[in-house]
Amino acid sequence: MKKQWTSIALGVVTAIGGFLDAGTIATSGEAGAKFGLGLVWIVLVATVAIILLVEMVGRFTAVSKKTYAEAIREDFGFRFYLLPLASEVIAESILLAAELGGISIALSLFTGISWHILFPFVALFIWIIVWRASFNVIENGPALLGLVTLSFLAAIVALGGIPAHLLPTLWHPSFQHGTVADYLYLVAATLGATISPYMLYFYSSGAREEHWTGASLLLNRVTAIVGMSFGSMGSLALLVLAAIVLQPLNISASTLGELGIAMAKPFGIVGSLLFATVLFATCLGAALEVVLAVSYNIAQGFGWEWGENKKPAEAARFNLVMTIFLLIAVAIGLTGIDPLQLALLASTIISLFLPISLSPFLILMNDPQYLGKKTNRRFTNIAMVCILVLAFLVALVSLPLEIITGGG
Amino acid sequence: MLDPRDEVFSIRDILDSQLLTSDGRRIGRVADIEAEVRADDSLVLLYLVAGPQALAGRVNTRLRDLFRFFLRDRFDHRIPLSEVTKFGPTLHLRGNAKDYAVGQSDRWIAEHILRWIPGGR
Repeated sequence: MKKQWTSIALGVVTAIGGFLDAGTIATSGEAGAKFGLGLVWIVLVATVAIILLVEMVGRFTAVSKKTYAEAIREDFGFRFYLLPLASEVIAESILLAAELGGISIALSLFTGISWHILFPFVALFIWIIVWRASFNVIENGPALLGLVTLSFLAAIVALGGIPAHLLPTLWHPSFQHGTVADYLYLVAATLGATISPYMLYFYSSGAREEHWTGASLLLNRVTAIVGMSFGSMGSLALLVLAAIVLQPLNISASTLGELGIAMAKPFGIVGSLLFATVLFATCLGAALEVVLAVSYNIAQGFGWEWGENKKPAEAARFNLVMTIFLLIAVAIGLTGIDPLQLALLASTIISLFLPISLSPFLILMNDPQYLGKKTNRRFTNIAMVCILVLAFLVALVSLPLEIITGGG
Repeated sequence: MLDPRDEVFSIRDILDSQLLTSDGRRIGRVADIEAEVRADDSLVLLYLVAGPQALAGRVNTRLRDLFRFFLRDRFDHRIPLSEVTKFGPTLHLRGNAKDYAVGQSDRWIAEHILRWIPGGR
């Protein structure tokens, strides 16, 4: 029993670290800087969605012993499987470039060296970790560092809490600093950044790596609810902080570095370093998760040997895919586009494809062949349909907006 | 007609199923099947097929022809149905991983590419 609570604590910490990444930092920061608290609602909606999805994918894998990617290929066939696969590879390669860039910018805030120079070394560092480290190291290492995210909350307190004049922007966003198109674009990007399918592929593969069974369902539920809620708190805190500090200064937060100003205002140089630490930890955790999620997805979909606890030669194709995927992200990153812009672009592409990546849930989660008596309750199904409709509507508006706004 | 002890499977149970060898290695998934019509009009399933051409054929028959033109059957392999000891979403095979042509790319990559990278083995 004691062991189970240790792993619950660990799972929660992991979820906090895994929630925030370049995508959520970019969308929260820009949302706050441009629209005050006007986008808080979509962060809350997305949080409820990701809690439901993480709980479902964990329950599915624990009971059926099948990962999400395996089930899609087996249940929907190869042709359908290609759709979520293609959307994953396209969106996540851009996102991975953003995460690598986020780590580089964090290190450049510490060292003063240009992030463009640090970028290839960061990629090499990530590759060495995924090449040799075990699953536990990858899951828990960056997560503990991610707790520094709580310093965002401390910053809000130090600045005297949320000022009264901001509260009406909760339901009446101000459009002084951005247009309606910008606003809707950020709604889509926030949804894509928060409900990242890579987290679902990673989480379900992790459940197999750690040999979850039907007895792990409590651990699964607590991780999903507590972990994701805490993670979302970090995201909301950054949004509020950007609204308090950046909006009056007319800073639109178009680079990750600019967001650091939000922490520098209350805490000075220490604040900048705290922001750099958060950026480093969250992007590091996310970069590892993204590389693995895509490699897991491909290896499981094609039925190859996979696993982070195996030596590379024992799962050769899996490890080769991992290496190639990192190289693609490096090529994207070397274009020199600011990671924040890459993160926003990736998040919008993800939101565009969300209906494809999420629709299998509705069928798989109601199949007693996989889940026995643990199939979805009616409430979860209704919530799931709402999420899909929302994802579809957002996808419908996000493409034209992407073109109108030129990507944020 | 059917012996009640027989298990009945649909093509859907076999297509896309995981191929697992007796030494516990995942070597690939069933991309296609080969069957034959016998003289008594019965259709008999003979082989499980895995490989890029078969997969391309699942998407589009023209695409299969295109793949065949470039790959010339080099990477597609068949496994006799008699090798399967247990059916289901995972097909358990009689032999070890090294006994099958399917999934040999794993070994090729390990021996020819990963050996040059430190920590690969």
